[in-house]
Amino acid sequence: MNWIAIRMLTGDAQKFYGLLFGIAFSTLLITQQLTVFVNLIERGASGVYNEPTADVWVMDEVSRTTDVNFPMPSTALDSVRGVEGVEWAVPHLRANASVRTREGDLEGVTVIGVDDATLIGLPARMAEGSADVLSQPDTVIIDDVGVGNLFEAGQSPIGVRLELNDQRAVIRGVADAIPSFTSQVSLYTKYSQALQYVPGTRNRLSFILVSAADGITPQQLADRIQADTGLRARTRDQFARDGVDFIIENTGIPINFGITVVLGFIVGVAIVGLTFSLFIRDNIKQFGALKAIGVRNGKIRGMVATQAGMVGLIGYALGLLGTVGFIWGNSGSAFFKGFYIPWEVPLISLVAMIVIITITGWLALRGVMKTEPAAVFR
Amino acid sequence: MANPFKNLSFSRQILPALAVLGLIVAAAFISGTLPNRELTEPEREPPRATGDLANSARIAGSGVVEPSSEVIAIGTALSGLVTDLLVQPGDFVSQGQPLFTVDTRAIRSQLAEANSAIAEAQAAISEARTAQTTAIRQLDLYRNVSDPAAVSRAEVIRAEGDAMAAGERLNLARARLGAAQARASSIQTELGRATVRAPMAGQILSVDIRPGEFLSTGGGGSQNIIEMGETRPLHIRIDVDEEQAPRVDLGAPAIVSPRGAAENQVSASFVRAEPVVVPKRQLTNTAAERVDVRVLQIIYALPDSARENFRVGQQVDAFIPATGDEG
Amino acid sequence: MSETRPITATRTGRAAISARNISRDFEAGQETIRVLHGIDLDVCPGELTYLVGESGSGKTTLISIMCGILWPTEGSVEVFGTDIYGLTDDDLVDFRLQNIGFIFQQYNLIPAIDAASNAAVPLIAQGMDRRKARAKAAEMLDALNIADQADKLPNQLSGGQQQRVAIARALVHEPRLVVCDEPTAALDAKSGRRVMDLLRDVALAEDRSVIIVTHDNRIFDLADRILVLEDGRITHDGTDVPDDH
Repeated sequence: MNWIAIRMLTGDAQKFYGLLFGIAFSTLLITQQLTVFVNLIERGASGVYNEPTADVWVMDEVSRTTDVNFPMPSTALDSVRGVEGVEWAVPHLRANASVRTREGDLEGVTVIGVDDATLIGLPARMAEGSADVLSQPDTVIIDDVGVGNLFEAGQSPIGVRLELNDQRAVIRGVADAIPSFTSQVSLYTKYSQALQYVPGTRNRLSFILVSAADGITPQQLADRIQADTGLRARTRDQFARDGVDFIIENTGIPINFGITVVLGFIVGVAIVGLTFSLFIRDNIKQFGALKAIGVRNGKIRGMVATQAGMVGLIGYALGLLGTVGFIWGNSGSAFFKGFYIPWEVPLISLVAMIVIITITGWLALRGVMKTEPAAVFR
Repeated sequence: MANPFKNLSFSRQILPALAVLGLIVAAAFISGTLPNRELTEPEREPPRATGDLANSARIAGSGVVEPSSEVIAIGTALSGLVTDLLVQPGDFVSQGQPLFTVDTRAIRSQLAEANSAIAEAQAAISEARTAQTTAIRQLDLYRNVSDPAAVSRAEVIRAEGDAMAAGERLNLARARLGAAQARASSIQTELGRATVRAPMAGQILSVDIRPGEFLSTGGGGSQNIIEMGETRPLHIRIDVDEEQAPRVDLGAPAIVSPRGAAENQVSASFVRAEPVVVPKRQLTNTAAERVDVRVLQIIYALPDSARENFRVGQQVDAFIPATGDEG
Repeated sequence: MSETRPITATRTGRAAISARNISRDFEAGQETIRVLHGIDLDVCPGELTYLVGESGSGKTTLISIMCGILWPTEGSVEVFGTDIYGLTDDDLVDFRLQNIGFIFQQYNLIPAIDAASNAAVPLIAQGMDRRKARAKAAEMLDALNIADQADKLPNQLSGGQQQRVAIARALVHEPRLVVCDEPTAALDAKSGRRVMDLLRDVALAEDRSVIIVTHDNRIFDLADRILVLEDGRITHDGTDVPDDH
């Protein structure tokens, strides 16, 4: 019987494509907006995710995120190194500075000082050049988004001289990094060099990057560091989460995107619900005839479910493809750099679609079930 | 229905197939573009505690390599131009071995002067002795003349005076000789001071002079002309934060590695802890030094086998066992 | 319309349908309206039985009850010996599917599937393979002389052709009872007679009953038996219609 249901569904092209459009559109709206939302707030954690090696970040008690930090005395490093279960610990500096470009523009930058000896703290990949250039004096490595902000299109940043805190800084490499929430330019340099680039107070050590030894989880290690040294220690995931939470708490982004997602859901329910119930109403005589002839209610339900399922599947696939196309098509632009579709998002929109389809299908089915087969004689 | 493709319907067959295909493509895209947030191992080895220390109480510190004798800054006793440089950095020297000399021409001319003064004094001695002999003989002659009228009393007195004067002149000349000899000897000593010698056996660490340069004795030792020290064995001076200091297990060997080459770890044996807690001296290379932290300095001896990887002055990372009774 | 006395239209011997004391009420707002008043009725196999009456006489309600798609308020119906209102809902549905063929006044064909598939719907509902069902339906269409229309959609067919498809659908699973609602209402006299001839030829058999609900007096002469229904009571049972009708 289900193939008959599908024929009935596709028989009216107008309503069929109307249904598809409704589902696809609200899937697109929900998926795309959720994706942009998740990626946008995850920018708050980009500083953490750009660093590929540390299990635990140690910081002053009052530091909150990679960008909102309060420096520690340099001896904190030795204290952390002395904690049992620390495989290694290296200093990490993050501070804001102003850079003067050759054109005389002033640009706020984040200076990131990585461990001199091991270069731990650099992003995993380089877009141009190699991390070894940091061994040359006065070298900084710029992140690829910073290239877009600081330079005109097509201009190579390699070899350009900048002025940082009255010091010379020569760009000798480009790192492949996820931009921060504010898309601020990041300049990576050695820790000792960073101390000179950032005018500062006595304490400069922003973070200590720590790796856990075998046999201890990052969480246990963070707890132990916190207990032994009195410093704040966060595991990588926690600290990433802190960055995300900071953005959620301090911006209106969740509300804006939340409204759009809810709108997408409502639009979906409205379009799909109306079209589907119209469609069922048009076919109610046929369903009545089938009931009279001797088709059980369960089979009728199955038919409506098949129709809803097919519309849902195709519409959902189209909407998802639209989102994929959107992300793929924009992957070249700096704003969307590093954007991805978290696997949870399609599942969420799938659940939303199932809810929409179930609600509308149930409403439509109620009409069919209420139809007395005797009505066919009137 | 005979040919299934004849009745291929766009909305019933192609569209669902496309939808399924689209889902697969989307799933592939989504799983393919998920960000890689796997933790990786750092490319270069960071300093880490290994072996028994990896999972036991320990204290981390940083320090520098130094000679076991500590660094001896050799100075000069004499000002002057450097005329001769006898060692190079890295040379091993034995005690007393000459290192360099300063210009000795002025001293040598003084020596010549002193020598002539000696000769003059000797000449004066022989002249005085001759005069004394003559005077004594004349006096004897007058004494042996028994005829008082032949020699007047006045003559005798004059001869006696001559003899005494000649004796005094001889004494004077002798004293002059002694003075000249003493002076020559002191100039000789000065000449020896112009050659600077190694105060002990050891290795020349740095040489900051070249022949022809002027050295002065003043300046409060700010000028390190030559640095040397006993590098067999090398010592390591490790700074431990005063807060951590009570936990240090004094006497246990430490694991040290040169900064930037953490894979070259060696075990260094305990030598002593400095009795004085000093302000932290060794800092992170910044110009603005901070001295609000005091450190306990502990000295460890490096094994001979590690000499190749450690140089005097090099920074090291160290892990020291802690007395496990804490926490 | 004259006052007539209700009669009992029972028969002795084997009955295809045996309805006893059928009453049916409808709720209309606060009031309850009784549409059928204790009808006793037997329908014999092998006969073309007409159910005749004015609009509102209750003939649609009666036929609905007799073929198992409307519950009576009182009374019982036996179809081929089965007390159909003693069955569960699903069993009743299955009973209809096995034993009863329906021809609706408006045909109620499914517009999205072709003639053969429409005719095959009962077989498909019975669970028969789609291809086999279509083949069997095509035979039936052939018997009804519209084999060449098998692949057309209902809206590509004329009214008469659609009706034949509807007839094919009613007969394809060889039911023992065929219920036919106003088969000739939309047709001219000639077509109407042809359809009735067809029905008589194809539908009627020794062990099969055909009930036709109609008020088309042009075809009264084709009936084996005519039952007249007035105000929820059977007022006539015979081979022809009373003159005042």
